[in-house]
Amino acid sequence: MPDWKKLVREHIASSALSAASREEVVAELADHLEETYEAARSRGLTDAAAFELAAQEVSDWRSLVKEISRAKEENPMNPRTRSLWLPAMANLIAAPGLLMILQKLAVQPRVLWIGDTAMVLYLPWLVTLPIFGAFGALLAKRAHARSVNRLIVGLSPALAVLGAFALVLPVSLVVDSHRLRDFPFAYFALTIFNWVVLPGLGLLIGTLPFLREPNRPAPSEA
Amino acid sequence: MTQRIRSKISRGSGELAILSLLSEQPLYGFEIAKQIGERTGGALKFTLASLYPLLYEMEKRGWVEGRWQANSAGRDRRYYRLTPGGRRQLAPLRAEWRSFFQALDSLAGVSHA
Repeated sequence: MPDWKKLVREHIASSALSAASREEVVAELADHLEETYEAARSRGLTDAAAFELAAQEVSDWRSLVKEISRAKEENPMNPRTRSLWLPAMANLIAAPGLLMILQKLAVQPRVLWIGDTAMVLYLPWLVTLPIFGAFGALLAKRAHARSVNRLIVGLSPALAVLGAFALVLPVSLVVDSHRLRDFPFAYFALTIFNWVVLPGLGLLIGTLPFLREPNRPAPSEA
Repeated sequence: MTQRIRSKISRGSGELAILSLLSEQPLYGFEIAKQIGERTGGALKFTLASLYPLLYEMEKRGWVEGRWQANSAGRDRRYYRLTPGGRRQLAPLRAEWRSFFQALDSLAGVSHA
Protein backbone atom coordinates (compact mmCIF):
# COMPACT_ATOMS: atom_id res chain seq x y z
CA MET A 1 0.00 0.00 0.00
CA PRO A 2 1.50 3.37 -1.00
CA ASP A 3 2.15 5.91 1.74
CA TRP A 4 -0.41 8.49 0.62
CA LYS A 5 0.24 10.86 3.50
CA LYS A 6 3.91 11.03 2.64
CA LEU A 7 3.09 11.67 -1.01
CA VAL A 8 0.64 14.47 -0.25
CA ARG A 9 2.89 16.01 2.42
CA GLU A 10 5.76 16.22 -0.07
CA HIS A 11 3.58 17.99 -2.59
CA ILE A 12 2.04 20.54 -0.28
CA ALA A 13 5.16 21.26 1.78
CA SER A 14 5.55 24.56 -0.04
CA SER A 15 2.05 25.79 0.78
CA ALA A 16 1.45 28.87 2.89
CA LEU A 17 -0.90 27.00 5.19
CA SER A 18 -0.37 26.92 8.94
CA ALA A 19 1.08 23.68 10.28
CA ALA A 20 -2.24 22.56 11.76
CA SER A 21 -4.15 23.37 8.60
CA ARG A 22 -1.55 21.62 6.46
CA GLU A 23 -1.74 18.42 8.50
CA GLU A 24 -5.50 18.44 8.21
CA VAL A 25 -5.31 18.85 4.44
CA VAL A 26 -2.68 16.10 4.21
CA ALA A 27 -4.90 13.72 6.16
CA GLU A 28 -7.97 14.52 4.10
CA LEU A 29 -6.35 14.36 0.66
CA ALA A 30 -4.37 11.23 1.54
CA ASP A 31 -7.58 9.64 2.68
CA HIS A 32 -9.25 10.48 -0.63
CA LEU A 33 -6.35 9.02 -2.63
CA GLU A 34 -6.29 5.92 -0.49
CA GLU A 35 -9.98 5.32 -0.97
CA THR A 36 -9.69 5.87 -4.73
CA TYR A 37 -6.86 3.33 -4.77
CA GLU A 38 -8.78 0.82 -2.66
CA ALA A 39 -11.91 1.17 -4.81
CA ALA A 40 -9.84 0.49 -7.93
CA ARG A 41 -8.21 -2.53 -6.31
CA SER A 42 -11.58 -3.91 -5.28
CA ARG A 43 -12.68 -3.63 -8.91
CA GLY A 44 -9.84 -5.96 -9.80
CA LEU A 45 -7.23 -3.49 -11.02
CA THR A 46 -3.60 -4.31 -10.44
CA ASP A 47 -1.62 -2.49 -7.81
CA ALA A 48 0.14 -0.37 -10.44
CA ALA A 49 -3.07 0.43 -12.34
CA ALA A 50 -4.88 1.38 -9.12
CA PHE A 51 -1.99 3.63 -8.13
CA GLU A 52 -2.03 5.22 -11.58
CA LEU A 53 -5.77 5.84 -11.32
CA ALA A 54 -5.41 7.49 -7.91
CA ALA A 55 -2.50 9.59 -9.15
CA GLN A 56 -4.70 10.89 -11.98
CA GLU A 57 -6.87 12.62 -9.38
CA VAL A 58 -4.33 15.44 -9.42
CA SER A 59 -2.74 16.47 -12.68
CA ASP A 60 -1.04 19.61 -11.38
CA TRP A 61 -0.05 19.62 -7.72
CA ARG A 62 1.38 23.11 -7.85
CA SER A 63 -1.89 24.56 -9.06
CA LEU A 64 -3.84 22.52 -6.49
CA VAL A 65 -1.64 23.78 -3.67
CA LYS A 66 -2.18 27.33 -4.84
CA GLU A 67 -5.95 26.88 -4.98
CA ILE A 68 -6.13 25.21 -1.58
CA SER A 69 -3.96 27.91 -0.01
CA ARG A 70 -6.22 30.59 -1.45
CA ALA A 71 -9.40 28.78 -0.37
CA LYS A 72 -8.11 28.09 3.13
CA GLU A 73 -6.46 31.44 3.59
CA GLU A 74 -7.06 32.22 7.22
CA ASN A 75 -8.96 35.37 7.79
CA PRO A 76 -8.73 36.84 11.28
CA MET A 77 -12.14 38.44 10.89
CA ASN A 78 -15.30 36.47 11.48
CA PRO A 79 -17.94 36.55 8.71
CA ARG A 80 -20.17 39.06 10.53
CA THR A 81 -17.31 41.50 10.99
CA ARG A 82 -16.30 41.12 7.36
CA SER A 83 -19.77 41.34 5.87
CA LEU A 84 -21.53 43.74 8.24
CA TRP A 85 -19.44 45.78 10.68
CA LEU A 86 -16.54 46.60 8.41
CA PRO A 87 -18.59 47.76 5.37
CA ALA A 88 -20.92 49.66 7.73
CA MET A 89 -17.91 51.36 9.32
CA ALA A 90 -16.57 52.34 5.90
CA ASN A 91 -19.93 53.80 4.95
CA LEU A 92 -20.22 55.55 8.31
CA ILE A 93 -16.91 57.25 7.69
CA ALA A 94 -17.47 58.05 4.02
CA ALA A 95 -20.94 59.64 4.07
CA PRO A 96 -20.49 61.98 7.07
CA GLY A 97 -16.92 62.58 5.84
CA LEU A 98 -18.25 64.16 2.66
CA LEU A 99 -20.65 66.30 4.69
CA MET A 100 -17.74 67.56 6.79
CA ILE A 101 -15.76 68.35 3.65
CA LEU A 102 -18.70 70.31 2.22
CA GLN A 103 -18.99 72.24 5.46
CA LYS A 104 -15.24 72.96 5.44
CA LEU A 105 -15.59 74.20 1.88
CA ALA A 106 -18.29 76.53 3.20
CA VAL A 107 -20.98 75.09 0.97
CA GLN A 108 -24.08 76.90 2.10
CA PRO A 109 -27.04 74.79 3.15
CA ARG A 110 -30.53 75.64 2.10
CA VAL A 111 -32.61 76.66 5.10
CA LEU A 112 -36.32 75.94 5.02
CA TRP A 113 -38.53 77.44 7.66
CA ILE A 114 -41.44 75.34 8.80
CA GLY A 115 -43.31 77.48 11.26
CA ASP A 116 -40.62 78.78 13.56
CA THR A 117 -38.39 75.74 13.04
CA ALA A 118 -35.53 75.80 10.58
CA MET A 119 -34.68 72.78 8.45
CA VAL A 120 -31.07 72.81 7.23
CA LEU A 121 -30.64 70.96 3.95
CA TYR A 122 -27.22 70.22 2.43
CA LEU A 123 -28.57 69.47 -1.01
CA PRO A 124 -25.24 68.53 -2.65
CA TRP A 125 -24.72 65.99 0.13
CA LEU A 126 -28.24 64.60 -0.09
CA VAL A 127 -27.83 64.14 -3.83
CA THR A 128 -24.70 62.02 -3.34
CA LEU A 129 -26.26 59.71 -0.74
CA PRO A 130 -27.46 57.06 -3.25
CA ILE A 131 -23.80 56.59 -4.15
CA PHE A 132 -22.95 55.92 -0.50
CA GLY A 133 -25.88 53.55 -0.17
CA ALA A 134 -24.65 51.67 -3.23
CA PHE A 135 -21.07 51.76 -1.96
CA GLY A 136 -21.98 50.21 1.40
CA ALA A 137 -24.30 47.60 -0.08
CA LEU A 138 -21.71 46.64 -2.68
CA LEU A 139 -19.00 46.21 -0.03
CA ALA A 140 -21.34 44.02 1.97
CA LYS A 141 -22.34 42.04 -1.10
CA ARG A 142 -18.74 41.39 -1.98
CA ALA A 143 -18.26 40.04 1.54
CA HIS A 144 -21.18 37.63 0.93
CA ALA A 145 -23.57 39.45 3.25
CA ARG A 146 -27.23 38.48 3.32
CA SER A 147 -29.75 40.92 1.84
CA VAL A 148 -30.81 42.23 5.23
CA ASN A 149 -27.19 42.98 6.16
CA ARG A 150 -26.62 44.71 2.81
CA LEU A 151 -29.63 46.88 3.58
CA ILE A 152 -28.31 47.68 7.06
CA VAL A 153 -24.88 48.57 5.67
CA GLY A 154 -26.36 50.72 2.91
CA LEU A 155 -28.51 52.63 5.39
CA SER A 156 -25.91 52.66 8.18
CA PRO A 157 -25.22 56.44 8.16
CA ALA A 158 -28.93 57.16 8.67
CA LEU A 159 -29.33 54.31 11.16
CA ALA A 160 -26.40 55.60 13.21
CA VAL A 161 -28.04 59.04 13.50
CA LEU A 162 -31.33 57.40 14.40
CA GLY A 163 -29.54 55.37 17.07
CA ALA A 164 -27.94 58.51 18.48
CA PHE A 165 -31.33 60.23 18.65
CA ALA A 166 -32.91 57.17 20.21
CA LEU A 167 -30.25 57.34 22.90
CA VAL A 168 -30.24 61.09 23.43
CA LEU A 169 -34.00 61.61 23.65
CA PRO A 170 -34.77 59.33 26.62
CA VAL A 171 -31.60 60.43 28.43
CA SER A 172 -32.39 64.10 28.01
CA LEU A 173 -35.96 63.51 29.14
CA VAL A 174 -34.75 61.71 32.25
CA VAL A 175 -32.10 64.32 33.06
CA ASP A 176 -34.40 67.26 32.39
CA SER A 177 -37.64 65.62 33.40
CA HIS A 178 -39.05 68.91 34.71
CA ARG A 179 -38.86 70.26 31.14
CA LEU A 180 -40.93 67.45 29.69
CA ARG A 181 -43.92 69.76 29.30
CA ASP A 182 -41.88 72.20 27.20
CA PHE A 183 -39.99 69.61 25.22
CA PRO A 184 -39.88 70.66 21.55
CA PHE A 185 -41.27 67.47 20.05
CA ALA A 186 -42.09 69.17 16.72
CA TYR A 187 -38.49 70.34 16.42
CA PHE A 188 -37.26 66.88 17.30
CA ALA A 189 -39.52 65.23 14.72
CA LEU A 190 -38.37 67.67 12.06
CA THR A 191 -34.73 67.02 12.94
CA ILE A 192 -35.28 63.29 12.59
CA PHE A 193 -36.95 63.85 9.24
CA ASN A 194 -34.03 66.05 8.16
CA TRP A 195 -31.15 63.85 9.35
CA VAL A 196 -32.65 60.35 9.29
CA VAL A 197 -35.61 60.04 6.92
CA LEU A 198 -34.33 62.18 4.04
CA PRO A 199 -30.77 60.75 4.06
CA GLY A 200 -32.26 57.30 4.60
CA LEU A 201 -34.32 57.63 1.43
CA GLY A 202 -31.27 58.75 -0.53
CA LEU A 203 -29.23 55.83 0.81
CA LEU A 204 -32.06 53.40 0.11
CA ILE A 205 -32.18 54.40 -3.56
CA GLY A 206 -28.53 53.39 -3.92
CA THR A 207 -28.89 50.26 -1.81
CA LEU A 208 -31.91 48.70 -3.53
CA PRO A 209 -30.16 47.42 -6.69
CA PHE A 210 -27.80 45.37 -4.51
CA LEU A 211 -30.44 43.58 -2.48
CA ARG A 212 -31.70 41.16 -5.08
CA GLU A 213 -29.02 38.67 -5.93
CA PRO A 214 -26.88 36.65 -3.57
CA ASN A 215 -23.20 37.09 -4.24
CA ARG A 216 -21.71 33.97 -5.75
CA PRO A 217 -20.35 32.85 -9.08
CA ALA A 218 -23.45 32.20 -11.10
CA PRO A 219 -24.20 30.90 -14.53
CA SER A 220 -25.84 34.16 -15.51
CA GLU A 221 -22.53 35.92 -14.85
CA ALA A 222 -20.88 33.76 -17.44
CA MET B 1 -16.62 29.66 -24.93
CA THR B 2 -13.63 31.00 -23.09
CA GLN B 3 -11.87 29.11 -20.33
CA ARG B 4 -13.03 31.74 -17.83
CA ILE B 5 -16.70 31.25 -18.67
CA ARG B 6 -16.34 27.49 -18.61
CA SER B 7 -14.66 27.67 -15.24
CA LYS B 8 -17.44 29.85 -13.80
CA ILE B 9 -20.13 27.51 -15.03
CA SER B 10 -18.32 24.50 -13.74
CA ARG B 11 -17.76 26.16 -10.39
CA GLY B 12 -21.39 27.24 -10.09
CA SER B 13 -22.66 23.77 -10.99
CA GLY B 14 -20.22 22.23 -8.52
CA GLU B 15 -21.53 24.41 -5.73
CA LEU B 16 -25.12 23.48 -6.51
CA ALA B 17 -24.26 19.78 -6.73
CA ILE B 18 -22.45 19.80 -3.40
CA LEU B 19 -25.07 21.86 -1.58
CA SER B 20 -27.85 19.63 -2.93
CA LEU B 21 -26.10 16.44 -1.83
CA LEU B 22 -25.25 17.77 1.61
CA SER B 23 -28.83 18.94 2.11
CA GLU B 24 -29.72 15.24 2.23
CA GLN B 25 -26.99 14.06 4.61
CA PRO B 26 -23.46 14.85 5.79
CA LEU B 27 -20.81 13.25 3.58
CA TYR B 28 -17.03 13.17 3.36
CA GLY B 29 -15.06 14.23 0.29
CA PHE B 30 -14.66 10.89 -1.45
CA GLU B 31 -18.35 10.09 -0.94
CA ILE B 32 -19.35 13.50 -2.34
CA ALA B 33 -17.32 12.91 -5.50
CA LYS B 34 -18.58 9.34 -5.82
CA GLN B 35 -22.25 10.20 -5.38
CA ILE B 36 -22.09 13.13 -7.79
CA GLY B 37 -20.53 10.87 -10.40
CA GLU B 38 -23.03 8.07 -9.84
CA ARG B 39 -26.15 10.20 -9.63
CA THR B 40 -25.34 12.19 -12.76
CA GLY B 41 -24.38 9.11 -14.73
CA GLY B 42 -20.84 10.41 -14.94
CA ALA B 43 -21.86 13.71 -16.54
CA LEU B 44 -20.46 15.59 -13.57
CA LYS B 45 -17.16 14.30 -12.34
CA PHE B 46 -15.14 15.60 -9.45
CA THR B 47 -11.53 14.72 -8.99
CA LEU B 48 -9.61 15.43 -5.82
CA ALA B 49 -8.14 18.50 -7.50
CA SER B 50 -11.50 19.98 -8.41
CA LEU B 51 -13.38 19.00 -5.26
CA TYR B 52 -11.32 20.13 -2.28
CA PRO B 53 -10.53 23.72 -3.28
CA LEU B 54 -14.28 24.18 -3.83
CA LEU B 55 -15.19 22.51 -0.53
CA TYR B 56 -12.67 24.63 1.38
CA GLU B 57 -13.92 27.78 -0.33
CA MET B 58 -17.52 26.92 0.56
CA GLU B 59 -16.41 26.22 4.11
CA LYS B 60 -14.73 29.61 4.29
CA ARG B 61 -17.93 31.26 3.09
CA GLY B 62 -19.80 29.48 5.86
CA TRP B 63 -21.97 27.36 3.55
CA VAL B 64 -20.64 23.99 4.73
CA GLU B 65 -18.85 22.84 7.84
CA GLY B 66 -16.30 20.03 8.00
CA ARG B 67 -15.81 17.91 11.11
CA TRP B 68 -13.63 14.88 11.73
CA GLN B 69 -15.71 11.94 12.70
CA ALA B 70 -15.18 8.18 12.73
CA ASN B 71 -17.28 6.19 10.27
CA SER B 72 -18.88 2.81 10.99
CA ALA B 73 -15.53 1.09 10.27
CA GLY B 74 -13.81 3.32 12.85
CA ARG B 75 -11.95 5.27 10.19
CA ASP B 76 -11.65 9.02 10.68
CA ARG B 77 -13.25 11.05 7.91
CA ARG B 78 -13.89 14.73 7.54
CA TYR B 79 -17.65 14.92 7.16
CA TYR B 80 -19.17 18.00 5.59
CA ARG B 81 -22.62 19.18 6.57
CA LEU B 82 -24.72 22.04 5.32
CA THR B 83 -24.86 25.10 7.56
CA PRO B 84 -27.95 27.32 7.83
CA GLY B 85 -26.09 29.76 5.55
CA GLY B 86 -25.56 27.03 2.96
CA ARG B 87 -29.20 26.03 3.17
CA ARG B 88 -30.17 29.62 2.44
CA GLN B 89 -27.98 29.57 -0.68
CA LEU B 90 -29.58 26.45 -2.08
CA ALA B 91 -33.01 27.74 -3.15
CA PRO B 92 -31.78 30.86 -5.03
CA LEU B 93 -28.99 28.82 -6.60
CA ARG B 94 -31.48 26.25 -7.85
CA ALA B 95 -33.76 28.99 -9.20
CA GLU B 96 -30.83 30.66 -10.92
CA TRP B 97 -29.77 27.45 -12.67
CA ARG B 98 -33.36 26.69 -13.65
CA SER B 99 -33.72 30.07 -15.32
CA PHE B 100 -30.28 29.68 -16.88
CA PHE B 101 -31.29 26.40 -18.53
CA GLN B 102 -34.67 27.78 -19.56
CA ALA B 103 -32.92 30.71 -21.21
CA LEU B 104 -30.46 28.41 -22.92
CA ASP B 105 -33.28 26.13 -23.99
CA SER B 106 -35.26 28.97 -25.55
CA LEU B 107 -32.13 30.00 -27.42
CA ALA B 108 -30.70 26.69 -28.47
CA GLY B 109 -33.30 24.04 -27.66
CA VAL B 110 -30.81 22.25 -25.47
CA SER B 111 -33.43 20.25 -23.57
CA HIS B 112 -34.37 18.44 -26.79
CA ALA B 113 -30.81 17.92 -27.93
